[in-house]
Amino acid sequence: MTTAAIDIQNLTKEYSNGKGCRNVTITIGEGEAFGFLGPNGAGKSTLVKMLVGLIMPTNGEARLFGDPIGSVAARKHIGYLPELYRYQEWLTGKEVIELHGRLCGMAKEEAHARIPMLLDRVGLGSRGKDRVKHYSKGMQQRLGLACALVNDPPILFLDEPSSALDPVGRMDVRRLLQELKQEGKTIFLNSHLLEEVETICDRIALLNNGVILRHGQVHEVLYAQTRWRFKIGGFTPEILPWLVETSGIPLQLSIPDAAHTDTESYSAEPSLDTVWLEAIIDNEEQVGFITTLIVNQGMTLYQVQPVRERLEEWFMEAVSGLSHRGEHE
Amino acid sequence: MTAVIGMTWKELLRKKVLLMTVLMTVLFLIVFWFIARTIGASEMMNSSPSAQLVEQFAQGAALLTLGFFFGSFILAFLVIFSSFSAISGEAETGIMQSMLTRPIPRWKWYLGRWLGYALFGILYALILYISIVVIADIHANVPKDIWVHIQSYLLFALTVPVLVTLSLLGSTSFSAIGNGVFMTMLYGAGWLGGMVEKVTSSMQMDPEVLKTLYNITGLISLIMPVDAIQRKMLALLLGLQDLAGMLDMSGSITAGFGLGQIPSASFIVYAVIYTLILLAWGTRRFYKKDF
Repeated sequence: MTTAAIDIQNLTKEYSNGKGCRNVTITIGEGEAFGFLGPNGAGKSTLVKMLVGLIMPTNGEARLFGDPIGSVAARKHIGYLPELYRYQEWLTGKEVIELHGRLCGMAKEEAHARIPMLLDRVGLGSRGKDRVKHYSKGMQQRLGLACALVNDPPILFLDEPSSALDPVGRMDVRRLLQELKQEGKTIFLNSHLLEEVETICDRIALLNNGVILRHGQVHEVLYAQTRWRFKIGGFTPEILPWLVETSGIPLQLSIPDAAHTDTESYSAEPSLDTVWLEAIIDNEEQVGFITTLIVNQGMTLYQVQPVRERLEEWFMEAVSGLSHRGEHE
Repeated sequence: MTAVIGMTWKELLRKKVLLMTVLMTVLFLIVFWFIARTIGASEMMNSSPSAQLVEQFAQGAALLTLGFFFGSFILAFLVIFSSFSAISGEAETGIMQSMLTRPIPRWKWYLGRWLGYALFGILYALILYISIVVIADIHANVPKDIWVHIQSYLLFALTVPVLVTLSLLGSTSFSAIGNGVFMTMLYGAGWLGGMVEKVTSSMQMDPEVLKTLYNITGLISLIMPVDAIQRKMLALLLGLQDLAGMLDMSGSITAGFGLGQIPSASFIVYAVIYTLILLAWGTRRFYKKDF
């Protein structure tokens, strides 16, 4: 049996103000990319800080490759990019990376040999010789990534790794994370950028008010059921109940919204009897059955298309109607 | 731990607090040079050789008292203002969050920072000590016994670890600004307690009042022993305990900077133990602190 990269059992941190997280249990395998989602104040950063040894848990335990969190042995396995951080302004970028390398037990020469590669990898290049006080927030974020990678750790904890970056920077970070994943790194990603999580992660968990609300494989969460749309001409309202009854599928008239709109389709010149119908459908045979019913009724079927659910919708649906302690509280 | 010490030294060498301290030191030494020259050039009031010898000694003693009075301020300025934000300040800015996840035990980090500040301060204390003694020696008579100087320097430098320990301990509890205020007030209280002792020792006062005052100043010295260590250092350097009653410096220009009650050797032992206990306490607090 292989040891899990990250094994969290009932990990709890309780604060007097009621914040923190409770009874979190997750096991993450080696080489897996895990996305951790949740509204502001859900307790995501608290959990990450416990895992990297910055906060002592109130209860429960967790291990990184079998070593208890907070121990020196466990910290040898990790690279960490905090959410809110700055680096020593009086040092140069190279010196900051070297310092992190030395703290990881690397010899000065070994750290020096890795620094140019790391600077290139995160896109800082020759700016490594500048003092950190001259760095923009985005450059500091890149420097943070270089520091996290200095000891070539098998586990990476990244708390909002591209929050301060421009779109080009975000693409760079996303590409870097994909490379790291291909190299077999275990990635624990805290991010508000759901598209980033969707692109990189294999599994996700949603934290709300300090407890895990949902978790699962990204492809299961997003593609377990697919929403299908049918563009129909010659539609009369009376036909809809018949279609639902005959097919056994809860078809309904589609109202275009910002999240679902296919601009080209919806902006096409509508006619009074042309509508969109939509339904959640488990398999393609059912889609074929509905199209047959539509055509047999003498209606015109202009388009049939699956609509891929986005993580954002999953997230909104999961937390909608729930109270959550936000930053306004 | 050497990486942490090295980082602390780089920080000290590149931050403005050192530049300000060096400027203050240079300014002080220039002024001290002219004061020393003026005092050294003044004519002897006594004609007998033995009385002149005592007068020369009194001049040297006055200069050293004056020099170390201001020198200790400069040293305290450097130590307090370089270290007051070492823990909480770095936690507030987020520097600590990325460093403490590295595979180094927290006690090593804390001791590394402590050693970095303390060694730097001790080295600066050596430069200050030599500068003050050399300037005083050029213009007046100062003790030449090297062993006395080694002991005096060690006492002068002892104030550095005491201040660093208090400052780092405060930084594990208070915010950066809060600790800066706390340390300044604590140092100020220690200095004020010392001043009260110096002034009252040369005044005719009701014994009951004196007893109460000494209790208060004694208590302050127990919490902030820096001023008392300083008095002990000067007493040792000038050999005042050996000369008790033989030398009257009340008419000297440094009368206000006199020594008052001179702490015993046991007090120095107390200061060392007190520092070690606070260091252990700070290390424990840092070990258990959430960031």
